[in-house]
Amino acid sequence: MKYALMLGGVGLGLLLGFLPSLRAPKPRWWIVLTLLSVTVTVIAAILPPIGGTLTDVVMASRADSTKIVPFYCVVVDDSTLRDARIANLDVALEGGGVRDLAGKHIIVHVTRGHSDRIVRSNGRSAVTSIDPVITLPYIMGLEERARIIFFHVPMSWIALCAYMISMIFGIRYLRSRNVDLDAMSAAAASLGTLYCVLATVTGAVWAKFNWGSFWNWDPRESSILVLLLIYAAYFLLRNSIADPERRARLSSVYSIVAFVTVPFLMFVLPRLLPGLHPGSADDSNAGPLLSPKSDAINPTKQVLFALSLFTFTLVYFWLTNLRYRMTIAERTIKENQA
Amino acid sequence: MMDFLTQNPTYVVLATALIIWAGIAWYITRIERRLRTLEQSIGSKR
Repeated sequence: MKYALMLGGVGLGLLLGFLPSLRAPKPRWWIVLTLLSVTVTVIAAILPPIGGTLTDVVMASRADSTKIVPFYCVVVDDSTLRDARIANLDVALEGGGVRDLAGKHIIVHVTRGHSDRIVRSNGRSAVTSIDPVITLPYIMGLEERARIIFFHVPMSWIALCAYMISMIFGIRYLRSRNVDLDAMSAAAASLGTLYCVLATVTGAVWAKFNWGSFWNWDPRESSILVLLLIYAAYFLLRNSIADPERRARLSSVYSIVAFVTVPFLMFVLPRLLPGLHPGSADDSNAGPLLSPKSDAINPTKQVLFALSLFTFTLVYFWLTNLRYRMTIAERTIKENQA
Repeated sequence: MMDFLTQNPTYVVLATALIIWAGIAWYITRIERRLRTLEQSIGSKR
């Protein structure tokens, strides 16, 4: 199911991205769909509250006995809560203040009491959400920072798609010598690099709060830096050649050679070496998204992640389309002036 | 109001993200509109 959702998100994004074509202006309904899709994704990624189970409360208290955990539960009465995710698990509540919420699903900030079946809260002010429509799971050590998955990972995966599109148009240019195809190859590569930079920046900000510093020379960070340098050289190459045909020929060849390194640097190398990033060689699984374990990622997060993939794929295609059309318009104006 | 936002920082983050997105969306749609106009004028001159 997880793989179907992820493939569905990217697949639908790619399908719509190629409508009506990569190079023609996008219809208005397409632009409105993209704008709405991003807005919904931003809201759906940030707004849902995080709610843990009693197990999360107990596990967090073992690391830090004062740790406050958002507990997702049903109010039975003023002194009893029932875990909303684990069936028939009643917990005694110290602090009360929830009498008027009987029968409702709530998220309340609690600490573990003097036993595993007792939690303590600061009364009514500790209740942060009542009858939430959707909730995200509590992940110890990540907590609110787990939301990065909806932005950081799609950026990285779509950068891979972008570099692949750049390579495909590079091959097509070499076969047909049509400079429009080279313009599309360059547009795809430039947007791929933008996405790669965004993936690196979002990852660095996340690393600052989880690993202690923005840059840790983790294999994943090093490999993405190498990838960015490879594509920086692509743009240097393009800008250093004045003759359009020679520039197109050499940069097409370079984009094909550069793409050979992309799967290796993004997927293979970071998994062969031990590191801090999920999915490294010393990790217990292949990371939450690629792990075959059914409980590696919560079903709600799977749906939101698929939505996020779909959205950012559409944005990529829109920006690539604009970049390509700008290049063509610029060239046409220069030709008209000459 | 300030107490509510202090206790619920999620709304501050959401508002910030939506404001940034509104700015980016406005900028991109403006480029799209101007590019369409430019393409039409180039097409009519040909």
